[in-house]
Amino acid sequence: MSLFRIDAQPARVPSWVLSWFLFAAGIIAYFYAAEQRHRENPDERVMPTVTQMVRAFQEAAAKPAEGAEAQEAPQTLIQRVRGSMLATDTIATARRFLISVALLFPAVLLGLHMAMFPYMGAFFLRFFQFFDKIVALSLLPILFIAFGIDELSKIMLIVIGVAPTVILDTVNLTKSVPREQIVKGFTLGAGDFAIAYRIVLKQIFPRVLNSIRLNLKAVMLFLFAGEMIASTDGLAYRIALLRRHMGMDTILPYVLWVALLLFAVDLGMSTLNKKLHPWFQE
Amino acid sequence: MSLGRFLILLAVLAPGSFAQKPSFTVGWSVYVGWNPYYYMQKSGILKKWADKYGVAIKVQRFDYAPSLDAFVAKNIDACAMTNMEALDMPAAAGVDTSAIIVGDYSNGNDAVITRGGVTLGQIPGRQVLIVEKTVSQYLIERGMAMNGLDSQIKKIKYLNTSDADIASAFITNPGKQVVVTWKPMVSQIAKAKDVRIVFNSSQIPGEILDLLVVRTEVLKKPDGDKFAKAITGAWYEVMGQMTGPAADKTLTSIAEGSEDTLASYKEQLSTTHMFYTPQSAVEQTTAPDLKKTMDLVRKFCFSHGLLGEKTASADDVAIQFPDASVLGKPDRVRLRFNPAYMQMAAQGKL
Amino acid sequence: MSIQIQNAIVEYASRRILNGIDLEIDAGEFVSIVGETGCGKSTLLRLILAEEHPTEGRVLVRGRERKRPDRTCGYVPQRYSLFPDKTVLDNVTFGPEVTAGRFFGRRGFREEALRYLRHTGLSEADAKKYPHQLSGGMQQRVAIAQALIMKPPVLLMDEAFSALDPGTRRGMQRLMKDLWHESGTTVVFVTHNTREAVCLGTRVIALKKNERGSAVALDMDVPHLDFDSDEDELARLIADVESSCWQGTALAHLQPS
Repeated sequence: MSLFRIDAQPARVPSWVLSWFLFAAGIIAYFYAAEQRHRENPDERVMPTVTQMVRAFQEAAAKPAEGAEAQEAPQTLIQRVRGSMLATDTIATARRFLISVALLFPAVLLGLHMAMFPYMGAFFLRFFQFFDKIVALSLLPILFIAFGIDELSKIMLIVIGVAPTVILDTVNLTKSVPREQIVKGFTLGAGDFAIAYRIVLKQIFPRVLNSIRLNLKAVMLFLFAGEMIASTDGLAYRIALLRRHMGMDTILPYVLWVALLLFAVDLGMSTLNKKLHPWFQE
Repeated sequence: MSLGRFLILLAVLAPGSFAQKPSFTVGWSVYVGWNPYYYMQKSGILKKWADKYGVAIKVQRFDYAPSLDAFVAKNIDACAMTNMEALDMPAAAGVDTSAIIVGDYSNGNDAVITRGGVTLGQIPGRQVLIVEKTVSQYLIERGMAMNGLDSQIKKIKYLNTSDADIASAFITNPGKQVVVTWKPMVSQIAKAKDVRIVFNSSQIPGEILDLLVVRTEVLKKPDGDKFAKAITGAWYEVMGQMTGPAADKTLTSIAEGSEDTLASYKEQLSTTHMFYTPQSAVEQTTAPDLKKTMDLVRKFCFSHGLLGEKTASADDVAIQFPDASVLGKPDRVRLRFNPAYMQMAAQGKL
Repeated sequence: MSIQIQNAIVEYASRRILNGIDLEIDAGEFVSIVGETGCGKSTLLRLILAEEHPTEGRVLVRGRERKRPDRTCGYVPQRYSLFPDKTVLDNVTFGPEVTAGRFFGRRGFREEALRYLRHTGLSEADAKKYPHQLSGGMQQRVAIAQALIMKPPVLLMDEAFSALDPGTRRGMQRLMKDLWHESGTTVVFVTHNTREAVCLGTRVIALKKNERGSAVALDMDVPHLDFDSDEDELARLIADVESSCWQGTALAHLQPS
């Protein structure tokens, strides 16, 4: 049975069909269940139908949120979309997301220095190894005191949650650069910083980018936690509100929208990585 | 014993355990008026009543929002919730719901607190820490309305904050001057410097009711009817114990359910108008004021989109009262106030 | 005197790797250090490189003890000899660029780099490639060019050709000898291949491992030997060297070259 043969070579078409199978099965199962629930109860809200979700999504993309400050009536389509609930939520969340990811790069530099300069390693490593294991969410009250409950605390929540992982990862990546490369650097007349930046950092950077890509989900997770706990806008904030009256017809499309955005960012980073580092073979 | 013999033994004994009584689950969350459910189970009172009617009843603790979700998804048969949630959660989702016990109303448990001497009139324009779309929002909007500040309601800036963190968020952020929440968070916040309560639920008595609701379809079945009787009987027995000679012992036991002290629980009870006797509960339910209250509540829910996007007007989620009158379209009744079981308790017929 | 090693002892956690090595190498010599695997030849090289320091004793290169590797010693390791993120050309211009400071652009050293590359047998077309696109032999050629462009007084090679196939290896060995003749650099060449050691170097130092660590077993001058020398003489010399440093001389004649 070639299902369990390591040397199996599935043909293209069957392979393609198989890869979509679970999606199809999940979607069909969902619609079957939703159908049933709607037949029993026309006002059913826990499992919305496609039409309901599509309509809700269109509304979210066209109308401003309830309670949004009244602007002058939008004229063009662009203005309408820009003022819509979906757009304002997305922009709010995206801004926090991008700022947090940008702050991960100094964390990379710190990890690099920790691994390359033994005094810095001695100073920081133990601390970050410990700190990495602290569940940032449980520190919320302290975060509130230190950073308030506005934008800064949400971003700090993400940074505190994700940066230690990125730092430790970078330390490992740096340490995995072969000794020979560093010695080579010295023999060619390079100084400490030239070796750190022009030899080591440049080599590990594609792996660093991949490491950050892997942590995007964690960034989003902390961002969602922060928005659900105290916020005035954002995608997770909207989902939290919608929960209160079972607005699953908007929540489910929102969740898919977030997944799509994350996909796009991941793809963007992967493409950028390939462009910047054509020599990287993994 | 050989595997074969063991299996036969199992097969013989198993049917005995399968010949069970119908089982019902009641969901509750930590709140002064609902903690008695924990005591009901722990003390064995619940089992006594359940056995009397030949049913099995489980109580299960949740966080508030998940308990509502479970009820709407029909994973539990009954749930403790406020009148507002009873309307905008199951009712608006098309789940016909009956309120069979009116346990209490919030008489100061919910409050609007400000710091720095900010008055109710000065709230619009400032950020308010609040769990949006809940009784807290209803409370502050009623407060504004009662003080002639209707038109200002739109200008209030809400900062949605989860109830678990709202107390520490307010206390540690002096820049935020207004918070709306309920006890025990209110008690914690009240200890901070320079804060005062500018409006609370004792100023709108009877508007925030705490109920036990059951899916109407469950009540229509004979077993469901028994379940309702059992739980009502158990409830009023506990109510009796809370006011009887051994009250303190009972209250201590109840407080343990939420890891609370007797003193703290009593403090919360002091701002809760409990309907300890079935008679008082029936009176509340059959009084005309209930209709006025529910009208205010449904208007609030509708104006905030809590009744669902498909709902064209507040009438589409109709409420039926004990005298059979209906608020809304008669063919779209989703929430019913059913005093039958409380009346049976009052008459000692349980 | 280019390199002086005085009673160098290297010890790790009570294990002795080198047990009192005394060695002097003059400027311009091509010294092969040979010995079986694990006898400490690479460690010895690293002492000269200043990547490691002796537990006891001194290592002087051009009269000075060094704290860490520097431009004095060029280095060609067995693997990871090139920077994977840079093209061949950039690899070779790296040293000159980094020592000239940031005001000299790449162009300044392009011609010189290409010259060195041509010298080691590579073409201008190869200059644009990345290391992973080159074969092992070509990578080592680039590594040699990269080291030589810095005109180091000493060149240290650590099993630089050990990972190459025999044909490529022979080509590299000839190249090495030619380059040495031209540049006059002091070369210290570590290998476990006795034939390579004997034919390349003008002096062969065999390191023998004993229970207390390795010490020099044999130090002989063989300037007249080459790959084309008389086979019998070579074989005898190889046998001599091996018998002095290999445990179990019976296997010496079966060593592949």
